[in-house]
Amino acid sequence: MSRMDHQRNAIGKPPIVTYNNVEKCYGDFTALNGVTAEVNRGEVVCLIGPSGSGKSTLLRCTNALEQINGGEIIFDGAPLPKGENNVRLVRRRMGMVFQSFELFPHMTAIENINCAPVTVLGMPKREAEELSYSLLKKVGLVEKAHSYPSMLSGGQQQRIAIARALAMGPEVMLFDEPTSALDPETVGEVLSVMSDLAGEGMTMIVVTHEMSFARRVSDWIMVFDKGRVIEEGRPDNIFKHPTEGRTKEFLRHVGVEV
Amino acid sequence: MNLDWSIVWEYRWAFLFGVMNTVLLAVVTMLVAIPGGIVIMLMRNSPVRALRGIATVYVETFRATPLILLVYWIFYVMPRFGVHLPPFLTGVVALSLIVSAYNSETFRAGVNSIRKGQSDAGLALGMSKWQLQVKVILPQALRRVLPAFSNTWVSLFKDTSLVSVIAVSELSYVSLQARAESFRIFEILTAMAAIYWCLGYPQAKLVDWLNRKYEVKE
Repeated sequence: MSRMDHQRNAIGKPPIVTYNNVEKCYGDFTALNGVTAEVNRGEVVCLIGPSGSGKSTLLRCTNALEQINGGEIIFDGAPLPKGENNVRLVRRRMGMVFQSFELFPHMTAIENINCAPVTVLGMPKREAEELSYSLLKKVGLVEKAHSYPSMLSGGQQQRIAIARALAMGPEVMLFDEPTSALDPETVGEVLSVMSDLAGEGMTMIVVTHEMSFARRVSDWIMVFDKGRVIEEGRPDNIFKHPTEGRTKEFLRHVGVEV
Repeated sequence: MNLDWSIVWEYRWAFLFGVMNTVLLAVVTMLVAIPGGIVIMLMRNSPVRALRGIATVYVETFRATPLILLVYWIFYVMPRFGVHLPPFLTGVVALSLIVSAYNSETFRAGVNSIRKGQSDAGLALGMSKWQLQVKVILPQALRRVLPAFSNTWVSLFKDTSLVSVIAVSELSYVSLQARAESFRIFEILTAMAAIYWCLGYPQAKLVDWLNRKYEVKE
């Protein structure tokens, strides 16, 4: 553990999100059982592990969609605030992409993208439209600007959802299994947008079952099991030399030779 | 039977006046009852227990009260408490109280049918609860409940006739007056039915069209 930590700190970037002994329960069920971890600025961190191990819960706690029951989450030097108005200020600085896209079905693609900048940031409509077009270009869907979500494929919807999150100018992007609901043939286009984003230096926390993506794009992997981080490290270390039995078991289960 | 349809023409201005009042009653009522229904729905879904309680009592009271009783109550009983409303306003108040209760239940069904992920998406973008309702939840919910809402509208349009009991000159009242004056019961009531139908049918078609136009596809 200490050897790997040393390697990671050599990157020399300050932490943007720190989890200190985070706990989260739903009734009797303990979803997070003391998670302590760090995400540094500019890093792509992938959270992997079996279903129900707490990865998505940690992501949803990061932007306070879920309230934690113990420990603390520190974002950019300050604990996540209480109270709706302060929480909103933090959420603006984080983008989130959902497994089921959650585009607004009554808005066109471009309206989905410029809705939050106009509504939340008070950006002038004109400026928001220009921003939206540049983001549509980035995700390769300029020609779909005026299409409704129901007219788009899953992959296209998810790319619009990424553009929508980017429109707020986030400092960190949270991806909650962004490709799990997609047809296999559209997974690639979404992962490619995400790789481009990583290449631009965006800080990303990604819950994923796409092991090849995790291995290729991420700077750091955290392996979850039963509400804890059981192992973390650089992708090569995790995929080639996992130390925990449960990690090996999980990787074998998802078809990775270890 | 000896029919004399010219009697209907003789009363044309009375009918027209009645139609105007009927339309006015229905429109003004709905203009009150849409925001009214939204407010009560928001109260019923509120995290504040007292607000939920008040809204629930409101809905359960007015859904279960016959309109005609409410009309009589406001017109004949409220003056004892110092509240004097003219007949037309009495009609608007009585209808609005009941239709707001119906609307709130219709809207609530719509709002509750929007999946939680939509709220998550709005909140994650930094929206306030209010912005979330206005931009994300209500536009979808209202479209979804359009068919149920239009049923309420059509019912309201016909229920305005009950306000005739306190001499509001809407279509039913003027028709019944015309009948009493002319004794041409068959012609007058047939004309009255025809007018209601001619007003109601295009509305039903309009609603069908709106449904197609604003349907939200998932």
